[in-house]
Amino acid sequence: MTVHTCDFNRRQFLKYTGAAGVATIAANLTMDDVAQAASVAPMPVGTPILVIVTLYGGNDGLNTVVPYLDPAYLSNRPGMSLDESKVIPLSDGLALNGTMTGFASLWEANKLAIVLGVSYPQPNLSHFTSMAIWQTGSPVEEISSGWIGRYLDSLPHDPFRAIGIDSTLTPLLAGDHRVGSMLPISGLQVPTGSLASQMQLMANSSRQDTALVADAADSIGDLFQLSATVSPVLQKAPPSSASPLAQQLDVVGNLITANVPTRVYSVSLSGFDTHADELGPQGTLVGQVSDAITAFLAQVGATPRANDVVVMVYSEFGRRVMANGGEGTDHGTSAPVFVAGNMVAGGFYGEQPSLTQLVDGDLAVSVDFRDIYAAMLSDVLKTDPGSVLNKWPTKLNLITGAS
Amino acid sequence: MTTASDRLELSRLVHRFGFGPKPGEYVNLLRAGIPQARATILARRYDHGLDALVTPAFPDMGQAPSDPTASHAYWQAVYEQSISVAMWWMDRMVLADYPFLERMTWFWHGHWATSISKVSYALPMKTQNETLRTHALGNFTDMSRAMVQDGALIFWLDGEENVSWSPNENLGREFMELFTLGVGNYSQNDVHQAALGFTGYQVNQTSGAVTFVAKSHDTKPQSVLGKQENFNARTLSDYIVSRPENATFIARRLWFRFVSTSIAPPASLAKVFENRDIAELITTIAKNPMMRRPGVSQAKSPVEWFVSSCRALRITPSKLPSPGDVAWMLGSMGQFPFNPPSVGGWPNDEAWLTAASTQYRIDMTYYLLQHGNLDPLTKVAKSKVVEAAADWLGIPQWSTRTERALNQALTDPNRFATLALCSPEYLVSA
Repeated sequence: MTVHTCDFNRRQFLKYTGAAGVATIAANLTMDDVAQAASVAPMPVGTPILVIVTLYGGNDGLNTVVPYLDPAYLSNRPGMSLDESKVIPLSDGLALNGTMTGFASLWEANKLAIVLGVSYPQPNLSHFTSMAIWQTGSPVEEISSGWIGRYLDSLPHDPFRAIGIDSTLTPLLAGDHRVGSMLPISGLQVPTGSLASQMQLMANSSRQDTALVADAADSIGDLFQLSATVSPVLQKAPPSSASPLAQQLDVVGNLITANVPTRVYSVSLSGFDTHADELGPQGTLVGQVSDAITAFLAQVGATPRANDVVVMVYSEFGRRVMANGGEGTDHGTSAPVFVAGNMVAGGFYGEQPSLTQLVDGDLAVSVDFRDIYAAMLSDVLKTDPGSVLNKWPTKLNLITGAS
Repeated sequence: MTTASDRLELSRLVHRFGFGPKPGEYVNLLRAGIPQARATILARRYDHGLDALVTPAFPDMGQAPSDPTASHAYWQAVYEQSISVAMWWMDRMVLADYPFLERMTWFWHGHWATSISKVSYALPMKTQNETLRTHALGNFTDMSRAMVQDGALIFWLDGEENVSWSPNENLGREFMELFTLGVGNYSQNDVHQAALGFTGYQVNQTSGAVTFVAKSHDTKPQSVLGKQENFNARTLSDYIVSRPENATFIARRLWFRFVSTSIAPPASLAKVFENRDIAELITTIAKNPMMRRPGVSQAKSPVEWFVSSCRALRITPSKLPSPGDVAWMLGSMGQFPFNPPSVGGWPNDEAWLTAASTQYRIDMTYYLLQHGNLDPLTKVAKSKVVEAAADWLGIPQWSTRTERALNQALTDPNRFATLALCSPEYLVSA
């Protein structure tokens, strides 16, 4: 059954209201004075940067890194399996979805690590619980801070240190005391003149503030500080024809090139909850992921920061081995995680879970995601993983030269 | 004699159990004293404020035409309805003299979070909204029974695909996790069995009409949370809602959204919900002594901020010149009615307090001030305007820094109002 949807998210609003809607708002504002900008010390070349890509909805691992020679794969998925003609073979009987040509080239260049069968003990099949587990980095204890947020907690307040490309805060970047900054794709515009100076007065802290009121005051101050630095960088709008992920990564690429002192970026793509008619749409989405990341790495690859950037791609869970009645798949457990970049030691990590020897009817877990997070914290962010991950003791050596 | 605690408690009551005061309302309620003010805010009576409400027609759009020109017009109409149904609801929130019922309906929309992004059509969303309003202060058992037979909710959670020979677990899982019991109070097998109990309900996507198709319904007994029975949507909902975990779960959800996420509710609160009487539960919460003490701040979400600003400025949302722009601006801030990001609803508190949302809030304030009424500021002596603004917006007390900023803007009412509406004290109910 084809479902007609009218997905009126932010992009759709833009499309329908057109430039007129934007102009109505913009006309009330004056662009920040570029001369005020770049008040922040640039980050030295050679400082590693982590870019986290979240795929919302639960990406189907088996139609992304495909066990295309496994008879159980073909027999479990009538009408929605990818045969030899629709994949790009890698090795060990595994192949990339045929739409992922960019990732195939990164693999050839040994710059793509594919960690197989990633999840956590007793995987949860709920989007919200499982995404919360991945974003908090805490499968056992229910906590509210994100793992990158706790990294921020360990350092002085700096609105630049972690930036999410969106308008609302992702839980990933929310610590107990500090939060990352959110930057909408269109950049930030601030008032000028007396309104600007009076607004900034309201950003001062006050003895009377509760913690939340203080956060509200900080958000005003952060707007002015961020805007002064990023506005000149973001003059070039990303092409509206690009996928949402490509647009976000275009912004990240511009910020990195401009030496903005940010260690962690968070970007995302939605639409992976493919309960029905999965084959075409899921292929398109993973193709967008592959294209956008490959183009982004090429963009920074042409700058002095070519060797500084590591991209990590994950989703809250994979999907069932067996297709459901609607040529889609229901929520599952483990799935591959991708780590890409010049300093990444390419290849497979972990083990591809068996499609026949299932655990509670689902794919087994071969790698705990905390082994990947620990590598990102230790070898990219150069911080002690144990303090962020509740003393988690092990890590994968995904980064060249790591030990 | 009005105390600082009275001002704080009343401010929380008008902002959390309503959508902020209309001009003059905060001072009038203060004069009445807290017990009388609370009774007024929680009162359910005929609302003359809604006499001015215009309800647009939301016809069943039927199947999309195949002809390209007709198809374009059809989807344009679908899009416009999706905006106007949200405007209609925000009109209700703004115009109501007793907005408590709308506030509760808004809470339940976030609880049974259903998105038009998948449902597509305004009519099923409006029907669901009326259902939520009918039961917003009624009995949760009745509400849940109505919701598992609601076309928009079933469609949203793939009830369409849920048939006995190929069960889809989406509705069964979210029903227990997010709507009735909470994580940890059921097993994966309960989810699977509940999904079988929910099989057989087909939805007409454009009208939202629900049909029970007996041949798609699982006829074997299911085993859910220890009970064996051949359930249907109604009996399954009744049974799950009757579980004691439901009282704890719903009591916590309301406490978190009306009081604080940082302080646990009193253990006795679930007991108040023993009969699943929503009005009794929310009234008990409103009377809790924590409502008078410091330390239970809550941030306004974008829709809450927009609606309270419209009430203060005497703006009717649907009469703004460009509803598409309003939708775009609220969408940029991350919240538009009938379009939650997921079945988990919207985030809260810190999530709304970002640099980006500050920017959009300033943009939107400019826009609103072109259409709003500033009499409460302009008809007052300049020496009194800062104090008058706190009463106008229902703010217990300006901080010293905000007072300084406002005092620098006395000559320009628009700038003054922009500062007040974007102030930390107005964004957060302290």
